[in-house]
Amino acid sequence: MKITESVKDNVSQVYIKGRFDAHTCETVDAYIREKMEKGRHQFVLNMEKVPFIDSAGLRVVLVIARDLRGEYQGDLRFAILQPAVNKVFEISGLNNVLRIFDDAETAAQSFSE
Amino acid sequence: MYVRFWGVRGSIAAPLTNEALSAKIEAAVKLALKAGLTDDWQVSEFIKELPWHVRQTAGGDTACIEIQAGGKLLILDAGTGFRRLGLDLIQRSMGSPIEAHILITHTHWDHISGIPFFAPAFMPDNALTFYSPYSGLEDRLNHQQNPEYFPVPLAPAFKFVHLNERERFQIGDVTVETFPLNHPGGSYSYRITQDDKMFIYATDSEYQGLSADSLKPFADFFNGADLLIFDAQYTMLENVEKENWGHSNVFTGIDMALEAGVKRIAFTHHEPAYDDEKLGEILHKAKEYLNINQPEAGLQLYLASEGFSMTL
Ligand SMILES: [Zn+2]
Ligand SMILES: [Zn+2]
Repeated sequence: MKITESVKDNVSQVYIKGRFDAHTCETVDAYIREKMEKGRHQFVLNMEKVPFIDSAGLRVVLVIARDLRGEYQGDLRFAILQPAVNKVFEISGLNNVLRIFDDAETAAQSFSE
Repeated sequence: MYVRFWGVRGSIAAPLTNEALSAKIEAAVKLALKAGLTDDWQVSEFIKELPWHVRQTAGGDTACIEIQAGGKLLILDAGTGFRRLGLDLIQRSMGSPIEAHILITHTHWDHISGIPFFAPAFMPDNALTFYSPYSGLEDRLNHQQNPEYFPVPLAPAFKFVHLNERERFQIGDVTVETFPLNHPGGSYSYRITQDDKMFIYATDSEYQGLSADSLKPFADFFNGADLLIFDAQYTMLENVEKENWGHSNVFTGIDMALEAGVKRIAFTHHEPAYDDEKLGEILHKAKEYLNINQPEAGLQLYLASEGFSMTL
């Protein structure tokens, strides 16, 4: 799993590449939590290069979003879900509580609404 | 190895309400009108085709599973379903003594509240033995039947065997192993092996760390099971809301089963607030999830319901 970040207007765009599952979920979790501790609380997770997510990945993003909302008035939002990942978000009900956008820019702008 | 569910509800018994029964009848009649039934003989075939949640109910009794293996009767947990199993055993035995080995996962009410109502305990010829890794199990069960709570003390017929946290022992040809789970106050999984069949009961457990490393000890214990019975009390969202309540969900169950090379998984310990429609939907979503993420996997998914049985 490859993770990179770019920051604009206090919103962190996190790009992840690869399968988001039991073998990689800790890497994503640790990466975002490290940024959180440094004071960043608005994240867009760019999922364009993520072909697969399982329950481990789902739980990680759900818990991070909950913590960001509850403790920092922040959020973890999503851009560009691949069809299979989008379907898994729907099936697990995550699409009802997480904010998902078709492109990264709209996702980032949603924080200044 | 034969497995039968006598109680599948978690936390507290949740009998079908009149309202829910009426809704089932109404749905069935509407579908019958739509299907244009005209004759009595069409009815039984028509009922078989009804959606599961209209035709059946998961049941309201709490945790109890019967296993028949190598000529031995094993019982897992003694929730309210234990009462009806007791009555059935008496009928089946036709007067001959009953020998039962009762494995207790933990002593939350939904796993022990059938014990005062287990009729075979009042017949002195029956050999009934409780097993658990709790050294104080006998005390706990005695307390449950203190006169403040129940008019009759714990039946003297019960014997107790104290197990270690991780133990392997024999009941005749049957090998039984224990493994600790994540649950407030503790809970234990049981692995039951006989001939080349392996059965796992893993109820009342929460998996918060879902990394491959955190799950490895569980995946190792579940490895290669013919049937894994798994606590899937909550939806994914509710599981995170109810963090530290000690339960899990179908998606985590599927991924653990896949990791462990399990052949069949049955979801149990149903949330008492979920009706049959919701439980049917949870199973449906579990199947969709498996189809998308691992379409080639041979894993079979089941929703545990009262009376549901399987031969491994
Ligand atoms: Zn329970
Ligand atoms: Zn419990």
